[in-house]
Amino acid sequence: VKENTTIQRRDFLKFLALGSVAAGGLRLARLTSASETGGSSPYRWAMVIDQDKCTGCGQCTLACRAHNDVPPEISWNRVLEAGEIGDKQVHLPRPCMHCEEAPCVNACMVGASYHRADGIVMMDYDKCIGCRYCEVACPYGARAFNWESFDGPNPAVPEWGHPEVERRPRGVVEKCSFCYQRIDRGLKLGLKPGVDEEATPACVVACPVGARKFGDLNDPDSEVSQLIKNNPYFRLRDDLGTSPRVYYLPPKMEVNK
Amino acid sequence: MIRVKRFKLQPVHLWIAFLMLLLGAGLVAYGIVLVKGLSVTNLSDLVPWGLWITIDLSAIALSAGAFTLCAVVYLLGLKKYEPVARTATFIGLIGYSMALLTLLLDIGRPDRFWHAIVYWNTHSLLWEVSMCLTLYLCVLLLETAPLIGRTDWMQARFPWLSNKMMHIHHFAPILALLGLGLSMLHQSSLGATYGVLIARPIWYKPSLSVLFMFSAIVGGPALTVLITKLSGKLTPRAKVDDTLLEKITLFIGWALVGYIYFRFWDAFSMTYTYEPGKTEALGMLTSGPLAFNFLVGEMLLGAVVPAVLLLVPRFRKSWTAQVIALMLIVAGVVAFRWDVNMSGLLVVLTYLPQEVTTIYTTYFPSVIEIISGVGVVAYGALAITLAIRYLNLIDHTKKEKEVVESPLVVAGTD
Repeated sequence: VKENTTIQRRDFLKFLALGSVAAGGLRLARLTSASETGGSSPYRWAMVIDQDKCTGCGQCTLACRAHNDVPPEISWNRVLEAGEIGDKQVHLPRPCMHCEEAPCVNACMVGASYHRADGIVMMDYDKCIGCRYCEVACPYGARAFNWESFDGPNPAVPEWGHPEVERRPRGVVEKCSFCYQRIDRGLKLGLKPGVDEEATPACVVACPVGARKFGDLNDPDSEVSQLIKNNPYFRLRDDLGTSPRVYYLPPKMEVNK
Repeated sequence: MIRVKRFKLQPVHLWIAFLMLLLGAGLVAYGIVLVKGLSVTNLSDLVPWGLWITIDLSAIALSAGAFTLCAVVYLLGLKKYEPVARTATFIGLIGYSMALLTLLLDIGRPDRFWHAIVYWNTHSLLWEVSMCLTLYLCVLLLETAPLIGRTDWMQARFPWLSNKMMHIHHFAPILALLGLGLSMLHQSSLGATYGVLIARPIWYKPSLSVLFMFSAIVGGPALTVLITKLSGKLTPRAKVDDTLLEKITLFIGWALVGYIYFRFWDAFSMTYTYEPGKTEALGMLTSGPLAFNFLVGEMLLGAVVPAVLLLVPRFRKSWTAQVIALMLIVAGVVAFRWDVNMSGLLVVLTYLPQEVTTIYTTYFPSVIEIISGVGVVAYGALAITLAIRYLNLIDHTKKEKEVVESPLVVAGTD
């Protein structure tokens, strides 16, 4: 057998044909990929958390676990201790920031993390392959991997509410979804998210001191728009350019009290 | 006629048995991971990537001999290195299959591995990497096909298929070009996979892609030459031309100097300003838990010592010094991958507004992680051992035979 490596015209054409078939096949595969962002939405959901009001009771976390059927070892919404002012402990509840420039959305190789038109950073649990690159990419530690399957009863149910979404299988990453199921269902029923409880994220409804507000930033009269307009606020690690949709009102010094 | 050969126990049989033992244990551990899930690992939400990702990255980096040497032979036209390129290509194929095996282990839903090809997020570095891996694995399969087709067994059993497989060799230059393109893309992108993450300050820099690429060009050929030299000493089935290899080791030595240069400035430039997270991570490398690995494993033994051994002619002429240098380079590449991954993950930067504090976490692989990882490495070693024995993987004398044969072929066709 000859060992030469000169390419004949015929071989080259064969090669080209093979290449175009492969490219065409991949293109076809591309078309099957769903859950593209697409579409437009009149809404731009955001959450405002008032650190001055938050007492760190953790009821938001429990309500979240019940309504989203989250296992006890995972918190979509974590409540952290964040220093003291005077003798008052300050808390920082941390849901998913639903970043406008979400590092997780760019990181995810299969597009299982994606932006909805209304700004919610969603998870497609049927697509996720569990590579955990999004966990590595998220600056807020907002993502949790299902290391084990969650079987048996949810200890937060029924005391803190009832599951509204499907339980996630072992091996996928999960996170806060701004209770998209409540928003979508509420809008269908003609309710207003942020105003009507059934259309508002469970953590916002559960907060006993009203430290959490939810609403539409496209509506200048919504409570969240007004709060941001009239108060000093900050966002977590704003320096990273992620542009979170969770706004915090900082704690105030208590004077003459 | 049946010839009965009396079985004589040779050291190689013990070596194969040893590898099979490790492979068997690895298979059991692999099964446990698939059945029980990733809870059997010591990975966590803070350290989601650990030993397996290191094996993965190292296997890919150390397979870079394939594209480097194929480019040298078929694109630069240095035909005399063709037998070495053939060895490198096979090692590359095995290395990439090792990487895929480890990846399959590492993802939470191995049953959905095909999602990586079907669902596209073109913004994701990992998407780009998985595309390149898939395509490059195809290139490697095509490049290796002539090696398999050439075997007596294939020629006797499936002459038609064997001819077709050997015919693929005609495409070697195109395959080399494709391999070069795909490899340069994904070897760099693997560094960029880390480099684009703003959440991890020590990773967030453009140099990681350059360093991953550079260290692969050093480490890949080093592993190929190392395996070739060791085989030449250990088995008569490997026919090695040491003068051919010496040129390659000289290249490796100079490439290593280039790598040290980049690596030095990469580390040194980080020492000047305090940057939350980045400075702490660098501290881990220079005086923390990764210090021995970084300073001694990666820098001194992994780069400086082998560069000296390969560039000073007196040492390079010595078989032992060369082999030690190549071993150190290979270990250094692995240490580099481990350090990159760990330095970014073990430092957890808080997002509290009042204080930018860093928290340190720890990771040590679980027994199951280690056994399954060792199993994957054993698979690679076994495949290469068997190829040396039965596929005539290392044969630097082939060239001369061809010179003798080709006039006859030409004469025959005239």
